[in-house]
Amino acid sequence: MAEQIDEAMVIAWLDGELDEVTAARVAAAVANDPALRTMADAHRAIRARFASAFGPIADEPVTMPSPASAQVVSLAAVRAARAKEVAAPPARRWAIPGAIAASLLVGVLVGHGAFAPNGVVDQAGALALAAPLARALDNQLAGAPGGVRVALSFRDHSGAYCRSFTATHLSGIACRGGDGWQLRYAAPGNAGTGDYRMAGGDTQQAEMVAALIAGEPLDAAAEREARERGWR
Amino acid sequence: MDEFERALASLLPRLRRFAHGLTRDRADADDLTQRTAERALKARAQWQAGTNFDAWAYRIMRNLWIDTVRGRQRRDKWIAPEEEGTDVGIAGDAETQAELHFLMRAMDRLPDEQREAVALVMIEGLSYADAAEVLEVPAGTLTSRLVRGRQALVKMLGGD
Repeated sequence: MAEQIDEAMVIAWLDGELDEVTAARVAAAVANDPALRTMADAHRAIRARFASAFGPIADEPVTMPSPASAQVVSLAAVRAARAKEVAAPPARRWAIPGAIAASLLVGVLVGHGAFAPNGVVDQAGALALAAPLARALDNQLAGAPGGVRVALSFRDHSGAYCRSFTATHLSGIACRGGDGWQLRYAAPGNAGTGDYRMAGGDTQQAEMVAALIAGEPLDAAAEREARERGWR
Repeated sequence: MDEFERALASLLPRLRRFAHGLTRDRADADDLTQRTAERALKARAQWQAGTNFDAWAYRIMRNLWIDTVRGRQRRDKWIAPEEEGTDVGIAGDAETQAELHFLMRAMDRLPDEQREAVALVMIEGLSYADAAEVLEVPAGTLTSRLVRGRQALVKMLGGD
């Protein structure tokens, strides 16, 4: 009856999936074993984090489509009608083949104000990230909380390190070049605007990552190692 | 509204949350939610009273999304799909939105089958049995996908 308590059991325990006896056994093991406790805490924290980010979505009302139209009108017609109702003119967005994208510096130009007060200029280093952002990309590991969040670190086809990030007014992808981080893709951050740029920006940013990336994203260990070497 | 429509209407907000976990994109999530509702209304004759309505509706959504992704892969090798439904409002402050966005990016990095399991159990709070029913897999398969997905998220996001 000395069954090992493994990670699957700890997770099932947190999910309330165990019978009373087994749950008590896992609870006791977690209380007495620091390694199990760390594991349980980590899973509990992740679950809580998702709950607080995704939970509010289920509080937002959703309109039911009319049953009559759903029964007699084709799905394609309903979708076409709905597409027409969208206020914004449909802009066809182009994803760019890898070789071309890699040679482009910036995918989407930043919205007004993001580079205030002077704006982007046509000179060497125009797309270098300035101090607070550059420092965050130098030091922060993917997933760490903060004003700047790094989502993903990877190498591009030339072997340079790149990182995708979200800051208050700017989100984008920057790669090591020269002595610092060069912006390869940028979109306005969503702070304070409350508009819908995020979803479109996200899709494009993901496409840009797909175009730039060589191989797989860095895992936590590789990322730490790259940071220690100054991303060179 | 009859009983079927009431059940669907009250499930829709949760279906929409599942759509966020599944699609990791707000516009896609809203579109998928509407299409799922339409499909469910059309297919209502296929639902048997007394069976698990939630699992049935979640399964419609999940299958629609699989079709959507396959369709896009065939059609849009280089052209990204047009944006739809961009006039839907967003609740919550910027920081909450950034966090949601960030976690959706983490979900991007999971294989599809792990992402589905994580979204159904960890985000939607379905029981393992219900989630296995939605995905039409044995309980053991669901559990192993779920555990691998959660391990990957802990590795990506750390424990804090």
